[in-house]
Amino acid sequence: MTTPQDTDAFIADLAARPAPEPLDLSRAAGWIGVALAMGLGGILAILGIRADLGAALQEPVTLAKNIVPLLLAGLALPFALSTSRPAATPPLWMLIPPALVAVALFVMQLSNTQPAAIGTEIMGQTAAACLVSITAISALPLIAGIRLLRKGATTRPTRTGALLGLAIGGLAAAGYALHCDEDSPLFYVTWYGLAIFIATGIGAFAGHRYLRW
Amino acid sequence: MAEPDEFAELLRRANAGDGPAFAQFLRRITPAIRTVIRAKGSSLPEHQHEDILQEVLLAIHLKRGSWKEGTPVKPWVYAITRYKVVDAFRRRGAIIHVPIEPFSETLEDLSAAVPLAGKDAEYMLSHLDGRGAALVRSMTLEGESAEDAGEKVGLSASSARVALHRALRQLARIAERTKN
Repeated sequence: MTTPQDTDAFIADLAARPAPEPLDLSRAAGWIGVALAMGLGGILAILGIRADLGAALQEPVTLAKNIVPLLLAGLALPFALSTSRPAATPPLWMLIPPALVAVALFVMQLSNTQPAAIGTEIMGQTAAACLVSITAISALPLIAGIRLLRKGATTRPTRTGALLGLAIGGLAAAGYALHCDEDSPLFYVTWYGLAIFIATGIGAFAGHRYLRW
Repeated sequence: MAEPDEFAELLRRANAGDGPAFAQFLRRITPAIRTVIRAKGSSLPEHQHEDILQEVLLAIHLKRGSWKEGTPVKPWVYAITRYKVVDAFRRRGAIIHVPIEPFSETLEDLSAAVPLAGKDAEYMLSHLDGRGAALVRSMTLEGESAEDAGEKVGLSASSARVALHRALRQLARIAERTKN
């Protein structure tokens, strides 16, 4: 049976041990960035960047293909990192506006498309390549991110993992958009959205499994 | 309220390598952690509360790098406490504890039927892997704490408890086999 006297000895024992390294979240962010650059570089080296990138980015609806996922990631990554400290309460509602922008883009395009053409426009030509590529780009940074955040102390492992997956999926989608030349929101909101959702799910699962302590 | 600043100052010094400051910090926060455990712990016997308290203290030590200087200490401590206490209760929750002392007069003496009785403990331990045998020897036979016993074989206290549990189950199986 453990007594308060044992606990006092236990405290003395803990205090005699060296202090663990402080949690360095900006370093973690840096390594996630390196892993992302490697994954993205690898995929873009195979697929190439679209030839008309400069002109395409002049078009707001096409630009949104890069900007909206970047916005999501720009919010979700600091949230994932900050929730690695106990008692952090990030303003998660801020993720809603970028998601609403994506929905609005989808709905606007829907109302401008002939009903007969909607199906083919959603399916596009490269849906499978899009899903596979974004997931592939996400793999390395997700592994790196989960490993790095194991040093943290999230009290909501599944949520932290999901936020990390969302951030990395968003970054991967924004990067993949440099290659992808399917510019209809019907296509990219559907498939980029699904790919980001898959990354979020993998992150949540990995968080549940590996971020517990 | 000056108190939180005092906690922050202790933890800051502790994380800079000041051991006595960390000991003082842990002693100062222990009553609050006890209160949380007691509030949640009516379903568990008192003697386990102290074990859970130690699990929380260990977690605070292991994760003290996750406190950011300049942020409040108390919410940080409470968040870790809540997380670890919920975890500890979940792991123990399935077991119903009934104190045996009131029945000790009426219970028949079971020691004659204990499979280990009459067998050479060392002989049985020789069937375990080295680490398991060492843990059984130091924790069960010699009554050492999980921390001390674990440290000898390079395990954390909680891993040592898990390893001990496994070793004991394995011993039970060996006893079952050798009985026949």
